[in-house]
Amino acid sequence: MDRKYRVMIIDDEESARKLMRAAINWDELDMEVVGEAASGIEAINVIDDLKPDIAFVDISMPFMDGIEFTQTATGRYPNLIIIIMTAINQFEYARKCVSLPVFDYMLKPMVRSEITKVLVRAKKKLAESNDFWEEQKAEPTGEAAYESNATELIKKYVGENFTDSKLNLAFVAQHFGFSSSYLSRKFKQDTGKNFIEYLTDLRMKKAITIAKSNVKMYQAAAEVGIPDPNYFSRCFKKYTGMSYSDYVTSKAE
Amino acid sequence: MGDKNKKSTLSSGFRRTIIGIVLIVSISFLISTYIITQGEQKNYVIRESDNVLRTLSNNIYSDVENYMDISRLIMREQRFVYFLKADRKYVDENMTNDARFGIMDVLNATEGVDCVIAFREDMRKVETNTVSYEFDEGLINSLSWREKIYANEGGANVVLNCNGIARRRDGKPVVTVERAVYDTNSQKRIGILMVNIAANVFQEMLNQLSYNNICIVGEDGTFLAGNEDYLQYYTPEFANPKIINKNIKIGKERMLLSGCGVDNLPIVIMRVSQYGTEGIPYGILYVLLFLLLVFVIMAVHMGMFIKNDITNPIYKLSESMDENKNTGNLKKIDIEMPLMELDMLKGDYNSLIDHVNELIETLLEKEKTVQRAEMRVLQEQIKPHFLYNSLETIGFLALDAGAGKVHDALETLGSFYRNFLSKGDREIPLSREVQIVKDYLALQKLRYGDIWDEEFDIADDTKKFIVPKLILQPLVENSIYHGIRLKGEKGSIKVRARMEEDVLHLTVRDTGVGMTRQQINKILYSERNTKGDIEGESFGLWGTIERIRIYCGSNDVVRIESEVGEYTEIEFIIPERTAIRS
Repeated sequence: MDRKYRVMIIDDEESARKLMRAAINWDELDMEVVGEAASGIEAINVIDDLKPDIAFVDISMPFMDGIEFTQTATGRYPNLIIIIMTAINQFEYARKCVSLPVFDYMLKPMVRSEITKVLVRAKKKLAESNDFWEEQKAEPTGEAAYESNATELIKKYVGENFTDSKLNLAFVAQHFGFSSSYLSRKFKQDTGKNFIEYLTDLRMKKAITIAKSNVKMYQAAAEVGIPDPNYFSRCFKKYTGMSYSDYVTSKAE
Repeated sequence: MGDKNKKSTLSSGFRRTIIGIVLIVSISFLISTYIITQGEQKNYVIRESDNVLRTLSNNIYSDVENYMDISRLIMREQRFVYFLKADRKYVDENMTNDARFGIMDVLNATEGVDCVIAFREDMRKVETNTVSYEFDEGLINSLSWREKIYANEGGANVVLNCNGIARRRDGKPVVTVERAVYDTNSQKRIGILMVNIAANVFQEMLNQLSYNNICIVGEDGTFLAGNEDYLQYYTPEFANPKIINKNIKIGKERMLLSGCGVDNLPIVIMRVSQYGTEGIPYGILYVLLFLLLVFVIMAVHMGMFIKNDITNPIYKLSESMDENKNTGNLKKIDIEMPLMELDMLKGDYNSLIDHVNELIETLLEKEKTVQRAEMRVLQEQIKPHFLYNSLETIGFLALDAGAGKVHDALETLGSFYRNFLSKGDREIPLSREVQIVKDYLALQKLRYGDIWDEEFDIADDTKKFIVPKLILQPLVENSIYHGIRLKGEKGSIKVRARMEEDVLHLTVRDTGVGMTRQQINKILYSERNTKGDIEGESFGLWGTIERIRIYCGSNDVVRIESEVGEYTEIEFIIPERTAIRS
């Protein structure tokens, strides 16, 4: 493969993410860290943009833990290499993911040399298999018949289902039988927006109406389909230019 | 009690046994009484009959002897002898009459002779009662009836009804004394003399003795005197001097029939006697009855003794043991026992209780020791010195590299572990627990950023209060993970400690997402064995509450207040350790 392998780090601890980013010599491994997520919820929302080959997933995270994320992701991204990170006292958790198709488990606190070893093995496996993301791009669609109104149908579907926190591009593409890459392009073409932007805008619009009735942020977040209030908060600020609580106060006055 | 009913109880067993014994003894008393009275009655009646029969037999015999004497007198009467000896040609009516008169003279002095008959050798006869008798002339001339008389050579024979040669016309029986007569000088036989005794002689004898239950019979079965009803019971076996006893039934009554022959006479006496009450040996019966009474009284007393002194105390003992079992309070039994053996039982039980209590205490002590030892082993495994030294070294390296923040963080971590381990103590002063919480929060802030403000309000008089280690830290941890982080907004954690009436009130309040009533109830009221339900979700909080409940020996040590989306406040109420221990 002529490109660098893309790595994503999913951990609720910022310092842990930063450490991972800083501690490993990614260039040497011919890899790059393309992004992070502070929860499973955030990961589901950003993964389609990041297109990772390898994901480090912390097992205990609030709102959507590593196991639930893995369950969701393995269906949508069959080639994704998932490496579970777990603390020693989370044995019960670890036992649950024995049945999951994860590449390996790593004990926290992590040791660099061990991470490197696992990554070398992962690289080998990736080299043997096809490039999933490239395949998605190259695959021509056979569903031309639907093309004219496909975007409308998808918009309608998303409009009805955006409160489902697991909704993302890969899922919708699978649902309608498109490749995600094609869908992404077509969607942007037809609407002028990224799929994820469109989805987030829908959620934020609803959040704004909810905010007017003075609902707590975490409750509003759960209601619109982003049950991780931290991620929700960032999305909200990006969308409205102010924090949720400020928005609530400003509307109250 | 269900089990006890299946087996018979001691008291009912004894009761049954005693009733059984009394019954058996009473029945054997009745049977033996019956046998004894029957035996004694029979013996009595037999003895009585025996006496009567012997006496009567003697009387009859001597009576008959009298008649033999009379026959001897007649035999010597001159006119009679003359008649017998006279030459045949001189015997005429006159001579016969003379002889008759001679006999009559002898008889005048006596009674009871019905008739005297005499024969000469030529079979001419003289008789005193010519009218009442008829003679069998053919038999008279035969020799057969005379042979027995001659065989006795002048001795007297006693026979019935003149050996058949003569018979009263009215059929009344007679007893005949007969003998051969010899001439005194020549010793030549000169004739035969027969003296007939009327049967009413015997009747008179019976009348005189007023016997009405006797029947006198000839040995050929002719009725002589007495009660003729008894004649039907006559059999030849009675013609024997030995007394024979038989049971017979007259009407419905059982009677004794005794009979014997009179010595050498062809006469049989039979007597029928009732089994009366005279023979019952009342003395023996009274003694037996008395013994029975004594036995019954003893049995009743025995039963009462068993009930009052054995089974009732056993029930009481068992009740006390049951009470011990039900209350779970292993107390000694303090009941007065009436018997040594039961007292021993009580003593054994009490010493068992003592032993069990001791064992429990030892076990508890052992458990504590084991836990302390385990803690020490754990501590040993952690090697705190190694940890602290390493932390110090790394801290110095950080400081040397100009990373002051790293040094601070390492210092906090060292402090946290020092207090966290606390030399293995399980109970520590509150001030130390507060320090653990402060260090913990500082370290968590490094991880999760400045997402909460903390506030400590610890009253001075609470700082030395002894609490179980790690009771505040899990509350604060709960506040972070299940309160503030889930809310996505900056929150606050307030820790407060106050003494109220010698009781410590520890409060942790956070402004997290709060808890629903359901969640609170789950944490407060989950049983120890269902802890699986709350695993992961606030398990640390639940476990801490359990620990405090066990430490205080009470369930009423915690209070949780919350409003969803606003706050959670958890309060522990812990009494003084000394108050708990006593």
